[in-house]
Amino acid sequence: MLLQANAAACCTVCDAVLARTRHPETDHVLALALAAGICLVIANVTPVLAIEFGGMHVEANIWTAVLSMQRGWFAGAALVLAVTTLWVPALQIAMLLWLLSFARAGRCAPGSRVILITLHRLRPWSMTEVFLLGALVAIVKLSNWVRVIPGEGIWALGGLTILLALLSRYDPRAWWGLALHTPL
Amino acid sequence: MSRQFTAAALGLVLCGTCGLVLPRPSSASDARCTRCACRIRARLPRSEERTLAWLLAGMLLYIPANILPVMHTSGIRGGEDSTILGGVVSFWRAGSWDIAALIFIASVAVPVVKFLALGLLLWSVRQGHVSARSERAKLFRVVEFIGYWSMLDVVVVALTSSLLQFKTLGTAEPRIGIVFFCSVVVTTMLAALSFDPRLIWDAKVSNV
Repeated sequence: MLLQANAAACCTVCDAVLARTRHPETDHVLALALAAGICLVIANVTPVLAIEFGGMHVEANIWTAVLSMQRGWFAGAALVLAVTTLWVPALQIAMLLWLLSFARAGRCAPGSRVILITLHRLRPWSMTEVFLLGALVAIVKLSNWVRVIPGEGIWALGGLTILLALLSRYDPRAWWGLALHTPL
Repeated sequence: MSRQFTAAALGLVLCGTCGLVLPRPSSASDARCTRCACRIRARLPRSEERTLAWLLAGMLLYIPANILPVMHTSGIRGGEDSTILGGVVSFWRAGSWDIAALIFIASVAVPVVKFLALGLLLWSVRQGHVSARSERAKLFRVVEFIGYWSMLDVVVVALTSSLLQFKTLGTAEPRIGIVFFCSVVVTTMLAALSFDPRLIWDAKVSNV
């Protein structure tokens, strides 16, 4: 007999679970994606680093870095930076949360096909870890001249880097079966 | 070596998007995957030409990326333009050999390794070489893995110029070299994405 979505087959004698249709990793990945989403928000609303000189205080994070290159030809580089460190990670996390919260409820998320294709295509373009390393280099570089204070954002970026690395171990291709109930 | 079964020999084809294994379609032109509805291709279309085009574009852009300044700092000592290599040298002279090495690897070594590795892969595929296939497949995976670390300098320049905005101490501004540098990263990543590593295995072993 085939199991319905989100159901378990139990032994009629001892009641032990024999098989489940829910993907065992759904809760695991959903928790990671939720934590990554929280880190992403913190990293974008708090300063990643700040410098102090003569009573003045300047803060920076992904947004200020992107905006510092908005004029003229630099807009191209700013766009690449914004896409790879802001939009792609945000989109990946949002799409994972959407897909997996439906999967957890045993339903197929609307737009699964487009989301899974987009997740696959976006994979090489997420560069949060590069931004983190760049922030660390900037701290060392600037500390020669001014007092540099690491902000809350750098811890959030560190957390986000680790969580995205853990999430990247899950190939979006493996979720086709989960989302559409088709064989892998 | 044990007998290897390839998808092509078994009449199968892999959907490049969702990874579903399908029977090879009879008409190659417009077959679509039964699961994700994306077009099925046994190999990436015109992989060699597209990889070569992106690779050459990246190599051309790499010249102005290194010659032109990436950042301009002005302060009490006067204005100063700095290039990528100039930044490495100044870190080295200041005693931060570790940061100098990091920037050198990310900004100079990684792009050069990518040029050489992709060039070698393209050349060996075109020549139909059958030696060191596993090693070449590994080389391609290394190129894919190191691909985006060259963005490091773009991040450093952007963060520095967003922070150093003091009239009294000094200011930092991005310079056009950083745009070239950023485009080197994008073009070399597109080159790696255009290359189909299965081409390495397509050359026929003559004595079989």
